[in-house]
Amino acid sequence: MSVMDNYILQVHGLQVTFTDIERNEIHVVDGVSFSIKQGETLALVGESGCGKSVTSLALLRLLDGNGRIRGGNVLWQGRDILSLPLREVRSLRGREIAMVFQEPSSALNPVYTIGDQITESMLRHQKVSPAQAKKQAEEMLRLVGIPEPRKRLEEYPHALSGGMKQRAMIAMALSCRPRLLIADEPTTSLDVTIQAQILELIKELQKRFHMAILLITHDLGIVANMADRILIMYAGKVVEEGNKQDIFRRAAHPYTRGLLNSIPRMDQAKGTFASIPGTVPDPAHFPEGCRFHNRCGEFTETCLSEPGKIHLENEHFVLCHYPLGQKTLGCRAK
Amino acid sequence: MFFYIARRLLFLPLTLFGISLIIFFMFMRLSPEQRVALYITSPERLRGDNVERLIDLHGLRDPWHIQYGRWMGNVVRGNLGWSNVGKEPVYSAIMRRFPYTLELALYSALPIIWLGTWLGTLSALYHNRPLDHTLRISAVVGWSFPDFVFGFFVLMIFYSILGWFPPGTLGAEADAVVKSSQFRSFTGMVTIDSLLNGRLDVFIDTARRLAGPVLTLTYVGFAYILRIARSSMLEVLGREYIRTARSKGLEEKVVINKHARRNAMIPVATVSGQTIIALLGGTVIVETIFNRVGIGSFMATAAQQLDFASVIGGSLFFGVILVLGNLLVDVSYALIDPRVRLD
Repeated sequence: MSVMDNYILQVHGLQVTFTDIERNEIHVVDGVSFSIKQGETLALVGESGCGKSVTSLALLRLLDGNGRIRGGNVLWQGRDILSLPLREVRSLRGREIAMVFQEPSSALNPVYTIGDQITESMLRHQKVSPAQAKKQAEEMLRLVGIPEPRKRLEEYPHALSGGMKQRAMIAMALSCRPRLLIADEPTTSLDVTIQAQILELIKELQKRFHMAILLITHDLGIVANMADRILIMYAGKVVEEGNKQDIFRRAAHPYTRGLLNSIPRMDQAKGTFASIPGTVPDPAHFPEGCRFHNRCGEFTETCLSEPGKIHLENEHFVLCHYPLGQKTLGCRAK
Repeated sequence: MFFYIARRLLFLPLTLFGISLIIFFMFMRLSPEQRVALYITSPERLRGDNVERLIDLHGLRDPWHIQYGRWMGNVVRGNLGWSNVGKEPVYSAIMRRFPYTLELALYSALPIIWLGTWLGTLSALYHNRPLDHTLRISAVVGWSFPDFVFGFFVLMIFYSILGWFPPGTLGAEADAVVKSSQFRSFTGMVTIDSLLNGRLDVFIDTARRLAGPVLTLTYVGFAYILRIARSSMLEVLGREYIRTARSKGLEEKVVINKHARRNAMIPVATVSGQTIIALLGGTVIVETIFNRVGIGSFMATAAQQLDFASVIGGSLFFGVILVLGNLLVDVSYALIDPRVRLD
């Protein structure tokens, strides 16, 4: 089996635009490409506003309002999701590719019971009777560690705590045994202790169901714990890609370095807290050339031109004129 | 759910007590000579020093709590005083007219709520497209139309020109039938009673006369519900649980009709309740324009002719309707939204 065959999802040159009030098209996601292998966890990392959530929604064509996919393709088992009829996309959603969202309190419908919301996708995608679906839902709740699952099925979301709601959400997403789980900041809204439990749960279920995970997060601690491979996104583009060791040990993009340096450490002197100067640019006014140039310590005039994708080693790629720590490339002549 | 309703019902007497106090104290602002009107059934009884004797007889100069107790005792027994306008006791004057108003209110409330909700949803789904604009314009026009203007248009078109919907409550023939001894009154609402008596001709007569006022109230009223339903639906469609529902692969029909609709109905239930309550108490103008018997036109006449007994009795009656109406709205909340049942 060749390497290519292992990919369950391949995204090529994804372009997403939003239209603002003055009807200008704003490129929020600009030529994003990546692939996910069967059973692996790919982390999509970036500051808020860099386009990572939009990317994940675009994969299942769930963008609402004025978001439009302007180009690229999303291959799922050889078929391009972006050009399939919507009816077929719907049959993929929840069955083959499922999603878990950031805020379980708002992602669950307040006026239907947990049981109703879990059985709903089973009844939609599988040939099961309502009674069977209910039994399976109870099983799922037990699997995600919710005590008294039978009782919980009859309860409404407001009766559950945040962590329990997220467990129910995961049970719902996994009810049809998807092959890919898209988890968009699944623990951001939870307490730190609950975060760890939920992440452990996701890892455990991943092993059990052999599913791949696209984990969207801005938390590098979670990435270190969960990811096999990492994509770093900045201002609508993937700026660095590699496996966990590549990124954490040999980060090449100044932005990735900046992110890693901004993780607070126990051995750090009091009061010093590294951060990247400036803020993520507004998608309506992305800088010319390298989009990070106005915040970058390595800036030269070359950076005003578009950088190309550089292959560093194995699966390690970077989008930068001056990748750090790559002396062999030695083009830092000034 | 059961406890929720039970608790609501426990508060009911308390609210009614408050309403009666407010009405009583407003009444007490009048002089004893004015208040004695409650007991005067004919001008004959006002001769000589009879007024003073009646004031003493009914204790209208007693301390207020004694008077309140005596008045409340009468009210509880259904004795609301004598109506000068109706030439009958206030209680029976109200009870005889109420079914006509109830009939009009119910037949208007149904299309108002149904049309408002349906078109409001449609408007939200076609957000900023031609259908949405058309519906919103028609809603604004309906909303801004005073009912007396639109009522006259309806009379002009459907009565003067087309001759379909005559004004009044009942035609002479139908009125004779209803008043005859063979016609049994079950509900007091002629549309229902006529069918129960098997008198289709009476039914058609009363239905034709109802059509004009119903049309007027519907057009003026549905706009408000439409606007609430539209904005509420738009808000709900942007919620995360709608995205969750789509991410599960549900059909758009299920997403809208199940996941969005029920959440969007919560504010609609409030305004629907208000609309029904307003219809029950405030169809004065439409009843007057279409020359209908009803509690609205009765109250208006009573107020004009300083018929205190009828005004007070009517106020109490509307108070009860308001409280019961709000109770129904609260119950409908609890039916729609499980979070309400908790507190």
